[in-house]
Amino acid sequence: MNTDRQPLIQLEGIIKRYKSLTAVNGVNLAVYPGEKLVIIGPSGSGKSTLLRSMNFLEEIDAGVIRFEGREAGYVHRHGKLHLDRQQVVCPLRAEIGMVFQHFHLFPHMTVLGNVMEGPLTVQKKPAAEARAIALDMLAKVGLSDKRDVYPATLSGGQKQRVAIARALAMKPKLMLFDEPTSALDPELVGEVFDTIHALADEGMTMVIVTHHMGFARELADRVIFMDGGVFVAEGAPGEFFDEQMGNERIRTFLSRII
Amino acid sequence: MIKILNISGRVATALLFLWITAVVAFGAAVDPDRLTRQANDLMGQGDLAGAVEVLKQIPAPASGGEGEAFVRSRLQIARLHFSLGEMDKALAAAREVLVLYPDNSEAKNFVASVEQARQPRYVTFLKDCLRFLPALAKGAVMTLLLVLCTIVISPIGGLLIALGRISTIRVISVACWFVIWFFRGTPLLLQLFFIYYGLPSLGITLAPLTAAVIGLGVNYSAYLGEIIRGGIQSIEHGQMEAAKALGMTYGQAMRRVIIPQTYKRLMPPIGNEFIALIKDTALVSTIAMVELMRAADQLFNTYFNVTALILAAIVYLVFTTVFTFIFEKIEYRAGIYEHR
Repeated sequence: MNTDRQPLIQLEGIIKRYKSLTAVNGVNLAVYPGEKLVIIGPSGSGKSTLLRSMNFLEEIDAGVIRFEGREAGYVHRHGKLHLDRQQVVCPLRAEIGMVFQHFHLFPHMTVLGNVMEGPLTVQKKPAAEARAIALDMLAKVGLSDKRDVYPATLSGGQKQRVAIARALAMKPKLMLFDEPTSALDPELVGEVFDTIHALADEGMTMVIVTHHMGFARELADRVIFMDGGVFVAEGAPGEFFDEQMGNERIRTFLSRII
Repeated sequence: MIKILNISGRVATALLFLWITAVVAFGAAVDPDRLTRQANDLMGQGDLAGAVEVLKQIPAPASGGEGEAFVRSRLQIARLHFSLGEMDKALAAAREVLVLYPDNSEAKNFVASVEQARQPRYVTFLKDCLRFLPALAKGAVMTLLLVLCTIVISPIGGLLIALGRISTIRVISVACWFVIWFFRGTPLLLQLFFIYYGLPSLGITLAPLTAAVIGLGVNYSAYLGEIIRGGIQSIEHGQMEAAKALGMTYGQAMRRVIIPQTYKRLMPPIGNEFIALIKDTALVSTIAMVELMRAADQLFNTYFNVTALILAAIVYLVFTTVFTFIFEKIEYRAGIYEHR
């Protein structure tokens, strides 16, 4: 790992509790520019929670998040951690793209409208410029011909590609993928996978939470296995799948997945 | 015993016959008062035709003579014929008076009303309609004005109340809960009374129209507030997350993503509320507003004529029908992204 560079995003001692359950229990993680990180693990292991805390959709209870070296998004009040004002948090989120398991496209906007929405509303770009960016992004995910239809008419794979284009239109520095293929029919996984693969080849920094081992094998610079809110194992994909088979928990998990 | 009774019965019949004959032959011709009394007796027994026959014996006065008894008798005959459903005879009797006394107002009114009664019902109804329409139209315009004002005010008020209710700032959320609790929990009539009759004692005097618009506006804002809140909360949580993930503020997410998606879901319940509103405007007739209901009520009380009420019902139905169609159209438009 290239440690002389500054991490794009760095997590220190992240703890997230839900009532009685501790979802993330003291995680440290640094993601470097251009890195492709894949987090795997059984459901309930805290991997989605960790991912969502990276763009402040999940409010952590303890820890520090640094974005480009600066402590980001939280203030201390009465000895407790609080999410900062939205004037602070929203611009941070605008630099981090997120793709959800269930797409969450805006159903009342056309495909083009969905992709334009970020540049238009958040970055306050003129409509013509936002439109040009959106058309660019739609071309990138191969859906230029669908620009005027509503999301309801798209297949799951197409929806997810539009969702990726929507996130990319903000020109983010980091892309987070939260199980991007888990809600798709098996025959539709390929097109989404290819889209993410192409993005990786362009050098985008990305963190992917997935059950899809193809991501880990083909895309990842680093694979992290998470369970019970902590990192159990971590490594480059080649060694990870060979060496970690000695680990009981990982072996059980992988044997169920593959 | 029975025989004696039987015989005395026959005697009585014979005597009565003799008496009537005698009256017919001598008495009536000279004594209109007695004939009138006799006719009244027959009427009392239910023999209207008999009474007519008796009254007919009162002669027309000699020229220049006193004719009051004649006039009274002919008008009575006319009324009796009218009661028996014999309109031609009734008119003839009244016209006998008019031949001698063309200015007799009672006879003239009688002829006019009988002629009107002889018209087909729909002609009468249509004439009444024409007579009542101007007053009702004024009332209908006022009702429409009240409805439109409330339709403009209440969605704005409702949205503010809804956003307040789901606010994380506790003071605002509790205040909005209280507003809804109060205005949904008390009768609109009472609220209108309070605003119009109660506020002056606090030094705030409002014109009836202002009071009515405020009362309806606030009341419907409270109802729409709960409907809009339900609509906002029915939008899948992922939509808010996706908007936030793009970097939108809460306000941007609401305005661009969440609220536009509620339109289609809100149209049916809001349409319902506005239909109810059209009818609830009738309540403001109690605070000195002359709208459709009040106008119809005034006509009804003046003319004791149901036509005014029927007309008002028709106007209300026209309003509600038009609004129903408009809302169906809007609902379709609002959900167009689901049809394509």
